[in-house]
Amino acid sequence: MQSDFYQLLREQGYVFGVPSQAAQGQELTTATTILAFKYRDGVLVAGDRRATAGNMVMYDRTDKVLEIDRHSVMAIAGVPATAYEMARILEHSFKYYRRTQLQELSFEGKLRALSKLLKDNVPAALAGTGAVAPIFAGYDFEQETAKIYFYDILGAEFEGVDYAVSGSGSPTIRGILHYVNTWGEQPLSAISEEQATVQALRLLTSAAEFDSATGGVNREAGLYPMIKFITASGVRTTPDAQLKPLFEARVSRHV
Amino acid sequence: MYEEPYKWVEAVGNRRTYLDAQFTEGAPVVGVTCARGILLITMSKGTPKLYEIYDRLALGGMGHPADLEKLRFNLLEMAHVEGFNRSASDVTGSRLVKYGMAPAIKQAFEEVFKAPFIVKILLAELGQKAGKDSFLTINYDGTFEEKSQYAVLAATSLVEQKMAEYLREQSITSLEDAVGAAIRAWAVGDRAQRRALDEGEGHDEARTDPDPQVTDSETLYAYLRRCITEKTVECALLDRHVQRPSKYRALGIDELKTMLPKDLSPSLS
Repeated sequence: MQSDFYQLLREQGYVFGVPSQAAQGQELTTATTILAFKYRDGVLVAGDRRATAGNMVMYDRTDKVLEIDRHSVMAIAGVPATAYEMARILEHSFKYYRRTQLQELSFEGKLRALSKLLKDNVPAALAGTGAVAPIFAGYDFEQETAKIYFYDILGAEFEGVDYAVSGSGSPTIRGILHYVNTWGEQPLSAISEEQATVQALRLLTSAAEFDSATGGVNREAGLYPMIKFITASGVRTTPDAQLKPLFEARVSRHV
Repeated sequence: MYEEPYKWVEAVGNRRTYLDAQFTEGAPVVGVTCARGILLITMSKGTPKLYEIYDRLALGGMGHPADLEKLRFNLLEMAHVEGFNRSASDVTGSRLVKYGMAPAIKQAFEEVFKAPFIVKILLAELGQKAGKDSFLTINYDGTFEEKSQYAVLAATSLVEQKMAEYLREQSITSLEDAVGAAIRAWAVGDRAQRRALDEGEGHDEARTDPDPQVTDSETLYAYLRRCITEKTVECALLDRHVQRPSKYRALGIDELKTMLPKDLSPSLS
């Protein structure tokens, strides 16, 4: 009994990662700044909500931080069409494994599942129509700690010891994360949940400042980034109602 | 050998006798709806008999563990492929049973040169709203029935009737009511099965007892106390209060202890 849902889909004729060439001048929808870092109680994963195609803003309510199961989150950067499909496959794969084998798939097994999808997606990624560079974070019950991994578009897997970033806005905040984590008052791994939330809001606002493809906070429309926390007790989403006062008091400049 | 029609009918008849005999010592399964969700209960000697199938679907089974396992995998496969290709709301117990499970079981039952599935299946489906819950039971020959308040599996349809009659008289609202009623109904069924078995073997003691249908709680709990020494209670809940999509969770002994009469709980292990 393999209990491999992806294999089962393929046996039924499902094909993933078909290479196809984009037509001349055709702009693809992509999406954008995602980040994850370790804080005192676990891992924070956050992402902005903008999807763009070339210079055009396609959508401002994209959810790029996807809860795959109770203890893992995939944040997506790249082509959302492919990324959402990957998320759907992973979600069903983990559920299928848990229900058939009567135990959770190990954290390492989950990482491997995503690697495999990315590897199968290489032709589409290189053709330019399906590149995805996700961050995968989750709680590893064997090592009793929350962990962060990030991937390149070919499926290489890297552990983010303290933090990981991806997407077009990520170069901006990568430097900030390094600075804050090294010379800040305390390392990121020591800060509280509230401090972590403020940091994530500031980082995404900075990314939006320098990257047109990253959406920051839109207070008029009540649009806030997606912020999730992963701890031993599972994945939790921070509601906008909690982000709003924090943003107003500690992120937006009152000059 | 079976080319003549009447011989085929005879062969299928023999199969029924053979299959009936396989279930005589099986543990009954009880499913009951309540405000909190759907409760499934049985007792087992190690091999689990209650399983999660999909977000709102749970399975209870009787029969050969290997057959049950095979059908469970079929159900899981169908449910997950459908959930992936369409959506979670399109995965319904009724479609899985009517277009998937029941035809396969019937075919295996009637193909007299091959082995039949030695199983009886109960599929519970948590509705989107209270009052929309449903149960589907499938017999070893592929016949299925739909129920809404409760459903049972037992060795014979006579025993199933007794259990259903008992459940019909219970008023069930809370989860505590459901646990109590379900475990007592289980006792009604298991007791009736054991008596039928004893009678079959010609025990004098059983024949002289004039009251085969005991329904008072005290006697049933006393019977359960004896069962618990050799079997373990298995209990699962499709929990309406759970926020995430998967509603299935196993009810542990500690949780059960708080819901069962005090004199029964010490014997739970």
